[in-house]
Formats: sequence, structure tokens, C-alpha cells
Amino acid sequence: MTVQELIKIMGLTPLSTFEDREVKGVFISDMVSDVMTAAKSGNLWLTIQTHKSIVSTANLADVSAVVITGGKKVPQETIDIASKYNIALLSSPLPTYTLAIKLHELGIEAE
Amino acid sequence: MPNIISLQTIKETLNAQIIVADSGLDDMIEHVYASDLMSDLLAFGKPNSILLTGLATKQAVISAHMAEFKGVVFVRGKLPKDNADKYARDKKIVLLSTQFDMYESCVRIYAAMSPGVLPTSATIEEQPPEHTLLSQDFHIQGRDFSNAGNVSTEIKEILKKIGIDSQISRRVAISTYEGELNVIMHANQGTARLIVSPTAIEVIIKDQGPGIPDIEMAMQEGFTTASEEMRAMGFGSGMGLPNINKNTDELRIESKINDGTTVYMKFNIEK
Repeated sequence: MTVQELIKIMGLTPLSTFEDREVKGVFISDMVSDVMTAAKSGNLWLTIQTHKSIVSTANLADVSAVVITGGKKVPQETIDIASKYNIALLSSPLPTYTLAIKLHELGIEAE
Repeated sequence: MPNIISLQTIKETLNAQIIVADSGLDDMIEHVYASDLMSDLLAFGKPNSILLTGLATKQAVISAHMAEFKGVVFVRGKLPKDNADKYARDKKIVLLSTQFDMYESCVRIYAAMSPGVLPTSATIEEQPPEHTLLSQDFHIQGRDFSNAGNVSTEIKEILKKIGIDSQISRRVAISTYEGELNVIMHANQGTARLIVSPTAIEVIIKDQGPGIPDIEMAMQEGFTTASEEMRAMGFGSGMGLPNINKNTDELRIESKINDGTTVYMKFNIEK
């Protein structure tokens, strides 16, 4: 499944401009150091962290997209940097746990 | 969420290692909260939850205790740092560690949750005695993250001891914890004063810090002046003052640049 397909099915809101790519597995963390250590290439990263450092983290960890959960407001600076580096920054009103369950029901397994 | 699950089932479904479970694994969990940002937990976490987190610190356990959570699971095989286990033991919080990551842990708990009957509440709510009147001062040491949460923990214990309703003491504990953290993050030292009267609980936190230049801006969610180090600990995400505002019946902030800040919080005791 690609990021664009996921946006449609899960009703996510894209915040940045990005190139579509395949989603492989899910990773949840709000600490950039953990994402750097343990996230895998292509993972969909769920977080409530909105600091601009998530963009460089997403870039380095090569995740397919970052989903900001819980409807958290994302600073414009974070969105602008994400667009600059073509990182898919998406938003969901659901809490992290609930979104994780829905992704699981959709058949996306941990990689 | 209509489903509930026991701590024992969570332990089994996550193949978790028990770090602390002196109080047993019989408690039932109604909600799951997956996060590493502690202010968010304090703002949105519900009582009788379990916390899944990669933040294996004492602050995570303190936050869980303030929010009336039953247990904490460290994901990705993390083990407690800085006496997190000692705090959990003292406060009867169950502490587990699982090799699974956060996503896998969420999915496994969800799969193990079966429809159940919500337990009927057998506890008789204790009314605080009319004559209760108490005033106590506490010292807060600035920049000392290792002891962050000590004052709010002590206040929570006092309120419990004198029979304050747990819904109210939870709000007091969360607000005091955020206030205490603000002092630790920004000031060299400060004090907290707890005043309990028959109708209200008041907490006044005073520091000799840099002061807040724009209180209105500081009240906005997400506004922060915290350092990267503080953020790395799961704090300083700009939820502190908004969170206090949400949990108090009355909030007044007075601040003078280079002089200090006083946060006055009042919580009404409803009959």
C-alpha cells in the first residue's frame, strides 16, 4: 500500500508536499533517538512529536511518512521543512493507540 | 473503549518481564496509552490505563502515577533507569518490560482484549472531614531533574491520606507536577505551598526564575522555551501551563522578568 492510498482509506490529512511511496510496517515513538535506532526503511511513523527535528529524523531513518496523531497542531516551520525535503507529513485526529489498531486491521504488520 | 483486560493478560500477551509487581497483576486496565511525551499523557491520559513507552525513566513512572495509571510497560526491551523501579514499588505501580516495539505491543494488547463486564465500583467514597485544615511548604530545587516529581508525589500522598476524592487529587497532582517541572526547568529554586480548607485545595508555586515575558503566549499549547535536553526527557513540549489551566478551577499567574513567577492554583472540593 502506498502513502496516497493510505491517506484515502484512513482519512488522513496531508500537510506537506511529497513523493508517493510504498508503506512497509509501522513504528511508534515520540523520541527521535529511538526512531533513529529502531525504525526501518519504509515504516509509517506515528508520533505526537511536532518539533521540526522530526523531519530530519524521518529523512535519516527513511520512513515512508510521518503521521502526527491526536490532531496535534503542527508548527508551520515543521511543515515547510517537510515540504522542502519531500517528507510526507500527515495528520490524524485519532490517538496513537486507536490509529495503530486501525492500521493493524487494515493488514499493515510490524516489519 | 468497552473492553477491559487484566495486567496478568497484558504481561502474558507481551511476553513481558516483570520488573515490579508487588501489588499483583489482578488490576483491570480500561485504556491503553502509547506515548513518550509525558505532558501529553498528563493532559489526555485516563485513569485505570496502562502506559506503553520507550521512555524508561523515573519521570515516566511519576507521570503514570500522577495520572492514576495502573502500570507502565517499557517497550523494545528497555529497563528502568534512575530508580524508576524503586518509585514504582513505593507507589504500587506495576512495571513491565517487553521486547516488542510500541506498534506490536498495541496490536497484541488489542487482540487479547475480550469483551468483558466493567467491574462494579465497590469503593465507598470517603468524604473529607469538615475540620480538615492544612498548610504545608515544600522546597523545589531548580535544575535537579533527578528529584523532579518529589514534591507533587508528596502532595498527592498527603491528599490521599486525608481522604480527598481521587478525581480531585489527580487534578491537583497533575497541575502541581507541571508547576514543579516548570520551576526545575527554568529557575534555580522555588517553593510550593499546599493549603487545604473544607471547600478547596490551593497550591501556590513560587520561583526565583527568569520570569515569563508573555503569559498569554506561554498559555498557548505547543509554545515552549525548553532546551533540547528537556525535550529529550519527554518534557517541554509546551503543554505545561495549558495543562494546569485545564485541571484547575482557578488559575492566576504573576510574573516579573528577572525576578520570578508565582502560579496560584485552586481546586474546589465539591460536596
